Amino acid sequence: MNLVFGEFLDNAAAKEAVSRLGELVLEARRQPPLLRDTVIRACDRLSRSLRDEDCIPLLTGMGLSPEKAKAELGYARFVTSREYLTSRLIREFGGTEDGRFTPCGEDRPVRLEWKPLGVLMHIAAGNVDAAPVYSVLEGLLTGNVNILKLPGGDNGLSVLLLKKLIEIEPAIEKYVFVFDFPSADTETLGRIAAVSDAVTVWGGDEAVSAARKLAMPDTKLIEWGHKLSFAYVSGDVGISALEGAAKNICETEQLLCNSCQGVFLDTDDFEEVCRFAERFAAILEKTAESIPSSLPPAVAAQKTLELYTEELEAEPGSKRVYRRGGVSVIAYNDSELTASYAFRNCWVRPLPKDKLLSELSKYKNLLNTAALLCPKKDRAELEALFEKTGVVRITSGERMSRSYCGAPHDGELPLRRYMKLVSYEY
Amino acid sequence: MDNRKKLFTRRDPYKNNDQLREAFLAATRSELSHHIKNCPEYARIAEKQGFRPDDIRTEADLAKIPVIPTLYLKRNRLFSVPESELAVRASSSGTKGSASTVGIDKKSLSLGMRMMTRFFSYHKVISLIPCNYVILSYEPGATDLGAAKTAYGTSKFAPALHREYCLKAVNGKYELNIEGVQKALLRYAKSPFPVRFVGFPAYMYFLARSLRDRGVSLKLNKKSMVILGGGWKQFSGEEIGREAFCALINETLGIGRERILEFYSAAEHPLAYARCSCGHFHVPAYSRVIIRSAYDLSPVENGQTGLLSFVSPLVHSMPITSVVTDDLAVYSDEPCGCGNPAPYFDLIGRAGVSGITTCAAAAAETLGKGAAK
Repeated sequence: MNLVFGEFLDNAAAKEAVSRLGELVLEARRQPPLLRDTVIRACDRLSRSLRDEDCIPLLTGMGLSPEKAKAELGYARFVTSREYLTSRLIREFGGTEDGRFTPCGEDRPVRLEWKPLGVLMHIAAGNVDAAPVYSVLEGLLTGNVNILKLPGGDNGLSVLLLKKLIEIEPAIEKYVFVFDFPSADTETLGRIAAVSDAVTVWGGDEAVSAARKLAMPDTKLIEWGHKLSFAYVSGDVGISALEGAAKNICETEQLLCNSCQGVFLDTDDFEEVCRFAERFAAILEKTAESIPSSLPPAVAAQKTLELYTEELEAEPGSKRVYRRGGVSVIAYNDSELTASYAFRNCWVRPLPKDKLLSELSKYKNLLNTAALLCPKKDRAELEALFEKTGVVRITSGERMSRSYCGAPHDGELPLRRYMKLVSYEY
Repeated sequence: MDNRKKLFTRRDPYKNNDQLREAFLAATRSELSHHIKNCPEYARIAEKQGFRPDDIRTEADLAKIPVIPTLYLKRNRLFSVPESELAVRASSSGTKGSASTVGIDKKSLSLGMRMMTRFFSYHKVISLIPCNYVILSYEPGATDLGAAKTAYGTSKFAPALHREYCLKAVNGKYELNIEGVQKALLRYAKSPFPVRFVGFPAYMYFLARSLRDRGVSLKLNKKSMVILGGGWKQFSGEEIGREAFCALINETLGIGRERILEFYSAAEHPLAYARCSCGHFHVPAYSRVIIRSAYDLSPVENGQTGLLSFVSPLVHSMPITSVVTDDLAVYSDEPCGCGNPAPYFDLIGRAGVSGITTCAAAAAETLGKGAAK
């Protein structure tokens, strides 16, 4: 579904709109600036209008389990609430100071102000249900005109929410364009990129490379590429810490950038890795029972083939597979960081502390979260090691995929990337 | 005559009898003994699964053969003859990034060629009338891809006047040659000879659709033919129904539905299965289909969806007597409306996560080695 100036358009009309997108965008930009307060007020009203009785059936109809639908809805309400947005803006841009100061060595004051980049093109990812909306909301909060390219196989949720937001606050109408062209239509997407000041892209290498090709050198690229996360276990660790990691694995099905893909164990002894893998498989199985899931048969078939292949390849000295009731843990005798097979199938690998830096330094721009599971007294030492790698978040297993208001994304404050600092001096 | 020869060189590939069934079991046993003796990796797998070739006494026992997933072949080399004895090598098209290397020895190849000739002759694909070809696949030369070899090989079933490739090799890389194909097609349409389209269905679809979008409607020689194989692969999001697909081809090229042939094949299982007029893939007497559970690979009842798995004693150079693909299918031995007495399978889809981009798997692409190790 396409959305231009608050109207739904079919693909032919949307194509026509793209052919004169330059004019349309200029028309939007000639509007009075979109004030933060206006956006916050609209979001807050949206937040309060998301009622269980309307939304839960809609979400479960899209294939979410009732528990997941409830959780997603709760999250959507929270991150669009006035309280959240106000707090987030303060976290990212500081308090009320007006940015005036006299620079060192100068005799006159200057004034710095954050201003929107202008026009943002959002190439959204498909792995989080309402991700495209959140990306556009960030663009609106920062006063930008937003052009959203929906991910392939989009479930329609994003457009509905944006349409609702526009109904609540018509001033937003001209700041939101949504297009549903396939990624293969590079000509159209190139036209959209050409009128944008920045292209923000969420997705894997393919999406990021495609965005790099779309954007000319005069267009800023804001990449939120895919990342990998893991748990690090060192020393004596109680069962509850491990259960936390298992919970993350089951809750996220290991599909997110900050989902636990596997566990690195502080040892160089493969037998110890195997003993841990066996223990963790039992914990994972128990946790999985309390968080039911049902895989579509096509996905189940793929997992069956992958695990069977791993079993065929298994060698006592280098790889062992522990399968228990719909979950698996594979012990490998190397220290590589890989994506797991997902859907409750994780790995365990040896990674002694003294090799941590050299091994993890291989992964530039690819690391996200490390769950640090170790006795409290060892935390500082291990944190110091992780800081030197690409890891941008260190937390417990259970909190890996839980965000908090004002949390950086991939080590950066996202809203700042959608703005520029304008300097005024006379 | 040895059992394999007996099985693979028959004029009617579908006709089966007790003698042939015996030959099938005997050939399968003998091939498995050879693989276990000459392929240490397969011997290890067989031992782990407690399997011995003599366990194969009846057709029902075929499911016990240690089955090799195509994924295993994508990640491991598995040969039962010295590599120097391989006559050809081919790679699967590696839809998901990695490709299997398949090597075939001289004897299996010659047997396979005879099987294919008989098979295509049965399906009236072999003709002496020269044809112009549109190859809906890769130009051979810069690739080891089985698909390129198959498509090129298929263009030998009738003498070729000219071949135009959808994917042309330019400086060692492949480029889409839409313009070249369209130009060739207009030229072919004026020639008195039939045109044959061979290769991937997705390319056929895009070609026909682009002709329709441009308002082109050709009436090609009535002996023209479309010969497709290889699945929709990377264009799976675009898949349309078979009826609509045939209608589109008829509308743009004037080729009737009875001259649109579809075959199923895989690099890891180099046999061909033809789709009949009722839409089913019938199983020749030299192959068996087992549908396996998506959860534990055990055989499922007829009519239930599962992973498509084959047993055939054709290939001597690799222990791929029993393979399991990542296609989902159902099997039936009910009589088919087309009159072919052989049992058949229907393709339902592919195993895997479709439409969802997993964050972590995509991140792993950066590492250049696919999901996990």
